[in-house]
Amino acid sequence: MNKAQIHRIPTDWRGAAMQRRIRGRYAAERRFRLLGLAAVVLSAGFLVFLLSTMLANGLGGFTRTEIRLPVDFPRAGLTLDPARLAGPGADLALAGAGIEGATDGAATAAFGKDGDKLISDGAWLAVRAAVKADPALLRRRATIAVPAADAIDIAAKGHGSPAAEATVARLKAAGVLTTGFNLSFLSEADSTDPTMVGIWGALKGSIFTMIVTLLLAFPIGVLSALYLEEYAPRNRWTDLIEVSINNLAAVPSIIFGLLGLAVFLNTFHLPRSASIVGGLTLALMTMPVIVIAGRNAIKAVPPSIRDAALAVGASPVQVVFHHVLPLALPGILTGTIIGMARALGETAPLLMIGMRAFIASPPERLTDPATVLPVQIFLWSDQVNRGFVEKTSTAIIVLLVFLLAMNGVAIYLRNRFETRW
Amino acid sequence: MTQHLKMTAHNVNVFYGKKQAISDVSIDIDQDLVTAFIGPSGCGKSTFLRTLNRMNDTVASAKVTGDIRLDGEDIYAPEMDVVQLRARVGMVFQKPNPFPKSIFENVAYGPRIHGLASSKSHLAGIVEQSLKRAGLWEEVKDRLQDSGTALSGGQQQRLCIARAIAVDPEVILMDEPCSALDPIATAKIEELIHELKGRYAIVIVTHNMQQAARVSQRTAFFHLGTLIEYGATSDIFTNPREERTRDYITGRYG
Repeated sequence: MNKAQIHRIPTDWRGAAMQRRIRGRYAAERRFRLLGLAAVVLSAGFLVFLLSTMLANGLGGFTRTEIRLPVDFPRAGLTLDPARLAGPGADLALAGAGIEGATDGAATAAFGKDGDKLISDGAWLAVRAAVKADPALLRRRATIAVPAADAIDIAAKGHGSPAAEATVARLKAAGVLTTGFNLSFLSEADSTDPTMVGIWGALKGSIFTMIVTLLLAFPIGVLSALYLEEYAPRNRWTDLIEVSINNLAAVPSIIFGLLGLAVFLNTFHLPRSASIVGGLTLALMTMPVIVIAGRNAIKAVPPSIRDAALAVGASPVQVVFHHVLPLALPGILTGTIIGMARALGETAPLLMIGMRAFIASPPERLTDPATVLPVQIFLWSDQVNRGFVEKTSTAIIVLLVFLLAMNGVAIYLRNRFETRW
Repeated sequence: MTQHLKMTAHNVNVFYGKKQAISDVSIDIDQDLVTAFIGPSGCGKSTFLRTLNRMNDTVASAKVTGDIRLDGEDIYAPEMDVVQLRARVGMVFQKPNPFPKSIFENVAYGPRIHGLASSKSHLAGIVEQSLKRAGLWEEVKDRLQDSGTALSGGQQQRLCIARAIAVDPEVILMDEPCSALDPIATAKIEELIHELKGRYAIVIVTHNMQQAARVSQRTAFFHLGTLIEYGATSDIFTNPREERTRDYITGRYG
């Protein structure tokens, strides 16, 4: 026997060769630890850079420059009866009152020939709101803070042209320039004027779309995962389905957009640009992610628990719903949130189904034309007007906060359902 | 002694795909006795045990032939309801496997799904009685809402026995219930088996021949998927008919 004849020299544990080996091992440990740390620092650095850039560029979008505009209501030539403002016909009365002209007139009266260029195209909306809130204004002179024009706003925030900055300096000296919270950014929808745009339309569109996606993708995904793991026989067909689902999860999103266009718009004739179609399309994309995550979570439930339940006489459905699903739920939720986060940030498939339209009012129903946050960001980033640069970053902040809130809910739910062994 | 046969198995064969795991085993399980299955690893004793409550159904490739009856009723007949069968023939596993729920919920689960309790207090009574019979009540009565998985291994196994008892089964199958436990916990389970004897027909699979000798009245020796010898425990251990049985119990192989 050869093995028995191997001659072994007694190991010298303190020899030079052994010491070298030990040093080498320590060096390898250190190298690996440093590399890992460097990777973490690098990725954290990128994140910090992204967030600080967005905050620096975008936070200004939550405020707006306002001009204190003196309006002499009794002489403004308004065709408005103050008595009618109390009743239900207020909006109608305001609509035909000529407030827009009166506002421009007040601006020229206050700031000279080009005075109406200093205030935003939507400044009269602020005046209208003030009158609606307090009809007594109509009987006297009043000073109302109205949004400044786009160029003034940018100049006041330090990015304007020399001419605009000179105007800002003049207005500041006159003491009519103030900075206010840009409430309309959180309550309005898209506009051609960057001082008037709002994110609410896109945010609402995103919420509608996500609700449709979740309501469809979650139950269908979880039921498919449960069926495939717990009931389906293992044969050629289930193998085929498994391969298809894995492939589906990797299909580029634009293709889902084309699918949505062909199926929901061309075949089922659902309304174009609607959040329901967006939700349906994104559900197609999210479902395979949930199925895969769900199957893995279900596989991770120990078989001993299934045996235990079967042995006291639980039916297969009871085993699934009383034991397997609750234990797999944290994992399923994690997968769902990853899929939903991806859907929330998705732009390409929604472009295909017409959600890139200019939508100036927030959607009221699932079938109303709508857009979503990432598409809105894409649209604004395309605009030449300098005012939209800031709004793009501000919209990104809103998107990130929405994402953060979604993840927060997911982590909360996961911790609630987590079973400690 | 009048013999009441609770379960009878005749010419049972079990196949996993093409591989035959059990060949031609016939055994009768007595109502009032503890029956032990012994044999070396892989001899098929656990597989055979799992045919008695059709737990093998969960293995897709498993196929069982032969005739197994519970009180004369063919348990593999198409009209037999598997869920009900498993409630009548309970099982305790090798590794303690309590549900990751409270101690109370672990025991209450079976009665609840079978609708055995008429009210909340009735259910609480069933839980208490089952835990008492499993010898666990004194240790857990003040913390029924604690997680069952927080108990020690031996307590977990007794909790699993209480869970099986709670549905009031006729037969309890135990698949090496002590192999994951220390000697003290093992002694408690063995004591418990003595107390449960007579109320339930008990079948226990064990690796430990001393345990078989201590707890059982009937012993079956399995080897390579066949039943070598089956008889009174005292006969098997003192005067085996088969040479292979003698070799095994004297530790010559296994």
